[in-house]
Amino acid sequence: MIEYNEKERRMVLKLVYYGPALSGKTTNLLQLHDKLTRQGRGELMVLDTTGDRTIYFDLLPFFLTAPSGLKIKVKAYTVPGQVCHDATRKAVLQRADGVAFVADSSPAEAESNFVSFDNLERNLSLVGLDLDQLPLVIQFNKRDLPDALPESEIRDTWGPTGIPVQMASALTGLGVTETFGALAQLVYRRIDARYRLEEGHGLSGEEFVRQLTCVRDEGSEGEP
Amino acid sequence: MSDGLTYLVGEEKGVRELLLDGEVLPLLKGVLAAGAGAARLLDQEGEELWGTAAPGARGELLVDLPLYLEGEPVARLKVSGDPADRDRLKACAELLRVALDTVLRNNLKRVLTTEIHTSVVNSSHEALLQINADLALSEARYRELAENLETRVKERSAELKRAHTHILQQEKMAAIGQLAAGVAHEINNPLGFITSNLHTLQKYVARFCAMLQFYRDHLKLDLPMETLSSQGENKWRELKLQQVMADVGDLLSQSLSGAERVTRIVADLKGFSHVDQAEEMPVDLNEELERTLGVLAHALSGRAEIVRELQTLPTITCKPQLPGQIFLNLVQNALTHAGSAPRITLGSFFDGERIRLSIADNGPGVPQGMRGQIFEPFFTTLPVGSGTGMGLAVVYEAVLKLGGTIAVADAPGGGADFIITIPATAGVCQLPRTGADSPLS
Repeated sequence: MIEYNEKERRMVLKLVYYGPALSGKTTNLLQLHDKLTRQGRGELMVLDTTGDRTIYFDLLPFFLTAPSGLKIKVKAYTVPGQVCHDATRKAVLQRADGVAFVADSSPAEAESNFVSFDNLERNLSLVGLDLDQLPLVIQFNKRDLPDALPESEIRDTWGPTGIPVQMASALTGLGVTETFGALAQLVYRRIDARYRLEEGHGLSGEEFVRQLTCVRDEGSEGEP
Repeated sequence: MSDGLTYLVGEEKGVRELLLDGEVLPLLKGVLAAGAGAARLLDQEGEELWGTAAPGARGELLVDLPLYLEGEPVARLKVSGDPADRDRLKACAELLRVALDTVLRNNLKRVLTTEIHTSVVNSSHEALLQINADLALSEARYRELAENLETRVKERSAELKRAHTHILQQEKMAAIGQLAAGVAHEINNPLGFITSNLHTLQKYVARFCAMLQFYRDHLKLDLPMETLSSQGENKWRELKLQQVMADVGDLLSQSLSGAERVTRIVADLKGFSHVDQAEEMPVDLNEELERTLGVLAHALSGRAEIVRELQTLPTITCKPQLPGQIFLNLVQNALTHAGSAPRITLGSFFDGERIRLSIADNGPGVPQGMRGQIFEPFFTTLPVGSGTGMGLAVVYEAVLKLGGTIAVADAPGGGADFIITIPATAGVCQLPRTGADSPLS
């Protein structure tokens, strides 16, 4: 957690989109930005890129307020996927409250997925986080690829781990909100256990997820 | 981090941290120049962050716009002035808001970029320092290794050579021990019956003494000759001196020949070992071969068939122990490998330049693939514990000292044939004492 200030009634959470290079982490944030209502989110901030590749990170903030008045800010980050930016990935992972691992469904990228997941586990332990304790969802992106790994195979592989797996096609927006919602739900459970969001602030898990994933009505409001 | 700076990506930033007086104030003054009475930037609690006003100007609040950071309202822009200018000042304020928003956003990006950059540079620097330290350590290790490699190789070689010499010496000692045991048996045998014969002779002598004492005592009695004669005859029979006298001759000649056998064995052994001849001297290899067979008599007699195909050889000059070591080990090797009915064929031949010796057995022979190895130390085909693998190495060493070569071939009709070639060079060679072609008995 980035910040919890009881006096100011403010909590800042950090979610990180991790995964191999070009698996669609930034596209996930772009789609969330486009699909969700302006009510609950800020602007997508894309730091400098090189040839459209993330070299620092992207940031999309979300806001919600509990019935008690507690303001919760959720900052969703992407990391640079390219192997050379490992130090940046480590910096972004610090004090993360949850991780969405965006894997590539192309069979050719199976090895990259594996290497990146291994890297995630190592970097988490380097910044003092435990993969087994941290809220984590896996998104298999690019389901629209003609040679995408069969879903049954993916479920067979990941089912036994108990980690929620979400199928997605970030380019078309399929599965993007669901991934974010699944992660939000896990994060809520973990935060609630410690900060008593339900008991102390009247904020239920359903409400937390609903506010974060409120889909915009077509054409109802414009950009600021 | 080494410099004590730590950045948390995502840490909340205040407007005060992100905007500088020099960036905000000129913009606010710009609105004043456009005719506004006052332009102020307030935080969410209503405290003024930056403000500017025209001297003495009073007017009403015309514009109140929010300023966002990361999507959250963080400040309010308030512009007041003459209500008559409302529309113009509103447009101006909107322009000012866009300008401030752009500066704020860009500053946030710059701060975030700088923070992450510094963080990455610091951790990369630390990683590089670590790598550098590791490399320096590894380089020092290799340098040390390179410097000492030659010395270490030399030390190790000397060590190996010492160990090798030591083992060869041990093998020679072991062979001598084996030989001593056999010889002891050979000597014990005659010594045994000589001792037994002496015991018997001791008893016989007692009987002779008793007979003599009898006559001496009876002569004093001055008995008639007939009585004396018949009593003497009785005593003679009583002492069984007839049989004793017949036995004494055998016992003595047997004991003498036994003593001679011991003398011969000791002479053979002394000749074989050349204990008193450490210096080089002329040596007849055929004689040395016979001496070896002599000391091995206990192992050969009645068990192995020895075939001699020996020709007269010139003497060579060498330390006399060397041929003994060669023949002893080769004959023992033949006995070990030739099975239950060994036949050992010994050959010697002189072609005018070189002496050729051949020791062949009727065993299984040496397979082609093993011929390169059998003279190496520790090579043995015997089960672990049965052979030291040093016998043939000792032979090889001794042949080398004689300036010769050794090879193994197939004996006619099977078996191994060890062939030794020794140069009979002018310096070490003496002409044959008898005809070159006459075989020795």
